[in-house]
Amino acid sequence: MSNPSVIRESRVSRTAVMALMLLLAVYFLLPVYFLVVAATKPQGDLASTNGLVFSHFNLFENLRVLFTRSDGIFGRWALNTVVYAVLGAAVGTLISALCGYALAKFRFRGREVLFSVILGGVLVPTTALALPLFLLFSATGLVNTYLAVFLPSVVSPFGVYLARVFANASVPQELIESARLDGAGEFRTFFSVAFRLMAPALVTIFLFQFVAIWNNFFLPMVMLQKESLFPITLGLYEWNGQTARAPLLQQSVITGSLVSIVPVIVVFVLLQRFWRTGLAAGSLK
Amino acid sequence: MRTRLATVAAAAGVAVLAACSSPAPSGEASAASCAPAKGKVTLQYWNTVPGMDKVVDLWNRRHPDIRVETKNISNDQYGTLGNALKAGKAPDLAQVGYDELPNLRTQNAFVDASACKAATAAGSKFVPWTWSQTSFGGTGVFALPQDTGPMALFVRRDLFEKHHVAIPTTWDEYASAARKLHKADPDLAITFFDPNNAEWFNGLLWQNDAKMYGYSDDKWQVTVDSERSRQVAAYWQKLISGKLVRTDLANGSTQMYAAYQKDRIASYVGAAWGYSMFRDNLPKQAGKWSVVPMPTWGTDGTSGDWGGSTVAFMKGSKHLYESVEFNTWLNTDPQALAMENELGGLYPAATAGLRLPSLRKGVAYYGNEKIFDVFAESSKKIDTNFAWGPTQKTVNLALQDAMAKAAAGDGTLTDALTAAQGAALTSMKDQAIPVAAGK
Repeated sequence: MSNPSVIRESRVSRTAVMALMLLLAVYFLLPVYFLVVAATKPQGDLASTNGLVFSHFNLFENLRVLFTRSDGIFGRWALNTVVYAVLGAAVGTLISALCGYALAKFRFRGREVLFSVILGGVLVPTTALALPLFLLFSATGLVNTYLAVFLPSVVSPFGVYLARVFANASVPQELIESARLDGAGEFRTFFSVAFRLMAPALVTIFLFQFVAIWNNFFLPMVMLQKESLFPITLGLYEWNGQTARAPLLQQSVITGSLVSIVPVIVVFVLLQRFWRTGLAAGSLK
Repeated sequence: MRTRLATVAAAAGVAVLAACSSPAPSGEASAASCAPAKGKVTLQYWNTVPGMDKVVDLWNRRHPDIRVETKNISNDQYGTLGNALKAGKAPDLAQVGYDELPNLRTQNAFVDASACKAATAAGSKFVPWTWSQTSFGGTGVFALPQDTGPMALFVRRDLFEKHHVAIPTTWDEYASAARKLHKADPDLAITFFDPNNAEWFNGLLWQNDAKMYGYSDDKWQVTVDSERSRQVAAYWQKLISGKLVRTDLANGSTQMYAAYQKDRIASYVGAAWGYSMFRDNLPKQAGKWSVVPMPTWGTDGTSGDWGGSTVAFMKGSKHLYESVEFNTWLNTDPQALAMENELGGLYPAATAGLRLPSLRKGVAYYGNEKIFDVFAESSKKIDTNFAWGPTQKTVNLALQDAMAKAAAGDGTLTDALTAAQGAALTSMKDQAIPVAAGK
């Protein structure tokens, strides 16, 4: 079906847009490219060869050193990051979904006030909360434990906001009513009806949380002292601070950075279909 | 608060001069008691040394009753320590640089361990200047020396030979070598002057016996700007003005290594801990480097120190006896010293450490030269009376600001000394520390 209202772009504007996109792609990918190149070099080539050109290929040796340094502490950090990010994002998404759904589908006194407060929470940067949280956790003796990083990670005001918007948009009231008529309890209704309808949106929330926790640096830095609890970000930072005394650590920091971004890229590529639908659905409201 | 601070600062000042026979400072708390604890003890030890956890593991295996836990504070050493002190949660032991000791002592951050026999007895085991700084001239034991950075000259022997220039032994020869090298190859500089590295510059002052501080008439005497320091400043200013040294490189930066890699710089005024910098970052220049003594200012071969740290006894520790036991072992036991040298690149402050097997061997990268003999020799020639000020950080920043200006052609290095002298006086007055401009 031909639609006369579709404006055909001129060749010039198409080319211009493509050129701009290409430029942006180069701009965003250049640091990644640098990282890939640098990670393949031995320490001695880092300063002495061109940063954007491959030299002696040493990636596998770099990886071996990275994973065996200090009794393989890097593997531990990687595992910690995965635990913090996957578990934190999963639990965080579930909580956001429950909250958002409740705010969208139940009428109760103070609902809007509650929602406004949560929306306000979106505006508070997590960095600003790190110190109050530290004092709080310090008083409860949770500092320097897994929970110190995990608990704050499962809270996401933005996730609640998104979940409410999505619940409104994608879960028809009629469907809930009929589920109730069929005798389903509220939790059953949520998990077997609403949860599924909201799935694309929940993937978006999961991704948001996942990336936020994966990249989180300040909170673990404030909370953790034991190296064995560190996520990758904090561990690499600590190594980087010691390069003056142990120059060879620099190469491990670079290789470690490369290793640390691989899972994020994989997750994005696998889930980007959901990501797009989620973003588009959100923008309707 | 202000007066108390002032009293403590004055006490720290009294301690500056070993020879000084002033009365005992009244504000200072007497040495803490040194009774061993009953049962098991856990100590906190914060440091910035790579691999220190391994050394501590060794201690923990051997001493099940005194367990030590480490925390690495490389990225914000004094910020972390300062916050912990304010919160009353300082560790039992912490790594503190020599130049930061007077400041922290002024803030009452240390406990005097001289009640412990092992602590006072340790004095003879360290290179004299380090002990003079950690004991504040013998008025207490506030820290044990851990590592030092005796200075020496790293030279590209091949470049000097190529241009038929002799390796300089005095600063005069060094300046004329700079001119010759530059004439032979306009792209070649003898070294670089890093304007953002006051610690390095202080090492140069130290070498010329340019004491930055003294103590007399119950006051700190600031002598940052003195005849001797001006000699050093004027010397480097001349090299900078003549464009014989580069001023666009930061120590340890990628750009610095790149410049060395391209044979644009022929020497490096460095410290013992820096021997791995070139070895690891410029492996292709193996065999081309040598280490020779610092050029001297005259006939007497004095040397300077750049960097190095102590392990301080922190206020609030409940286990002084055990802290002393561990600290002494950590910094004098040959096996511990060897591990710290191997894993963390530390150049020991303990005299026994200077004879470690690893420090007596030739180093392959330096054409199998016994480079550590040069550093050990340098270590012996470091002035023991040099002292740091209680506001050293502020002074260093003022110095760097003005040195950066001088490097950019705005003012001279002598102006930088004047600025740093002013900053020293103001910052101490601001803290109500009795101070005067010394001569």
